[in-house]
Amino acid sequence: MKLACVVHRYGADIAGGSEGHCRLVAEHLGARHDVTVVTTTARDHITWGNHYPAGEASVDGVRVLRFPVVRQRHMHRFMDLSDLVFADRGTHGDEEQWFRENGPDAPGLIDFLRQHGGEFDRVLFWAYRYANSYFGLPLVPDRAVLVPTAEEDPLIHVDAVGPLFALPRGFLFLTPEEETLVSMRAAPGRPSQVIGCGLDPAPGPADLSPLDALGLADPFVVYVGRVDPNKGCQALMRHFLRYAEQGRAVQLVMAGPASMPIPSHPSIKALGFVSDAVREALLTRARALVMPSPFESLSMVLLEAWNRGLPALVNARCKVLRGQVVRADGGLYYGNTTEFGAALDYLLDRPDAARALGQQGLAYVDREYRWPVVMEKIERVLAQTG
Amino acid sequence: MPEPKLRVDAVMSDIERDVRTRLRRHLIKRGGAAEYHDEELFELVRATLARAVEERNLDATLLPELLDTDVDWRLQTHLSLSSHRPVAGRFILFFKRRVLLPMTRWLFEYSQDNFRRQDHLNRVLFACLEELALENARLRRDLATRLAKP
Repeated sequence: MKLACVVHRYGADIAGGSEGHCRLVAEHLGARHDVTVVTTTARDHITWGNHYPAGEASVDGVRVLRFPVVRQRHMHRFMDLSDLVFADRGTHGDEEQWFRENGPDAPGLIDFLRQHGGEFDRVLFWAYRYANSYFGLPLVPDRAVLVPTAEEDPLIHVDAVGPLFALPRGFLFLTPEEETLVSMRAAPGRPSQVIGCGLDPAPGPADLSPLDALGLADPFVVYVGRVDPNKGCQALMRHFLRYAEQGRAVQLVMAGPASMPIPSHPSIKALGFVSDAVREALLTRARALVMPSPFESLSMVLLEAWNRGLPALVNARCKVLRGQVVRADGGLYYGNTTEFGAALDYLLDRPDAARALGQQGLAYVDREYRWPVVMEKIERVLAQTG
Repeated sequence: MPEPKLRVDAVMSDIERDVRTRLRRHLIKRGGAAEYHDEELFELVRATLARAVEERNLDATLLPELLDTDVDWRLQTHLSLSSHRPVAGRFILFFKRRVLLPMTRWLFEYSQDNFRRQDHLNRVLFACLEELALENARLRRDLATRLAKP
């Protein structure tokens, strides 16, 4: 088949999120299909500032067409509009404007889909919240497959989303929770699959030497990802400091670039951005992965931790994380500070049980998230949406 | 023979029970409601409030709709600049947006952050009230049904 994958930004140096998911799927689809990625020249997901050269390029063997962004995102205007629209006080015009303000505003991309979208057998769109999906998908509804990457945030309840979800011929979901969430707004009976994301088995025992210079004390638990209040990090550090105040000797390692102040405390170790080698070593050596995010559509880090047999401690308020942990029997969850402490006590005081939870997580990844399993589901939807 | 599976729901059930017991004792120690000496009653209260906090959609509750009268009670968490002056208004708005707002941005963001917290808390309280009203309505209906039976 001739396939187009439409995503807001694309590059080998863009990790995680729906962009990373799109890149992995596009690369694997490329083994059987003629794949073109249609995207923007942006790299920064906040401003959408142009970074990559416009035009055609090849990224790890995949053909990529990049279109320039004509307007950077105005964050204050966007936040003000978000308050209005999410409180259900906006008009339909305000809601459409929200998608424009969210961006990326790349009219060349939309024109390309208008003129050439019909030349593709299927057009896959990633992330319904961005302008390229909202304004691009209605141009090719008869061949569109949407990967919504929807989270339980206020946008899902906005009126303008209903007509968008009624258009695509099929859906690819990341989790059963996302499928339930979107199905409430989407037309029934469309072909769909819950695919998650594929992972290769971890390549043998990780080299732990990169940890030597970091001065980490055993035991430690690790958070991997952007250190950001929106990712639940503020609440995590509050829970953890209350826990540490009770005299428990354990360290919280925050591995990721920070966009918020991190308290200076001997129990919290902020590493900033870490290399893949350090990340692998952390996931091997830690006692547990902590995932405090209240909104997640999948969490690749959780799957990577399980891929290394590491148990997880996740925010119970995030239905996706809680659902994943329960399905996998791969960790515990917490809803408040007291539960956080009790669950962490359990994981630290019972290493055999913690190890068993981690191994069950690994078995879940083997069962659901190996590439042949994931690609077979995607192929099924591509075949059914013809 | 494969090892017996460690069930997360069973582990969490034990942890949550332990946390509830600790919470109840903590409240009693701090002089909380005397009714909390009754473990079963405490659990019913906790479960009702937890349903509101954890399961209710905070964006779709009844009380805010009923409050929508002439008086606008909603917290305005976004800033809208306007002027009623037809001619000078454009210049006043320009001054507010380009001079005043950048100079007071820290105060604006501090206030906005607190408005958002208050807005969230309001919505949680609305959800709690709704949960209690629902519980009350269910009990009233059950009671009416029982009384109506011969």
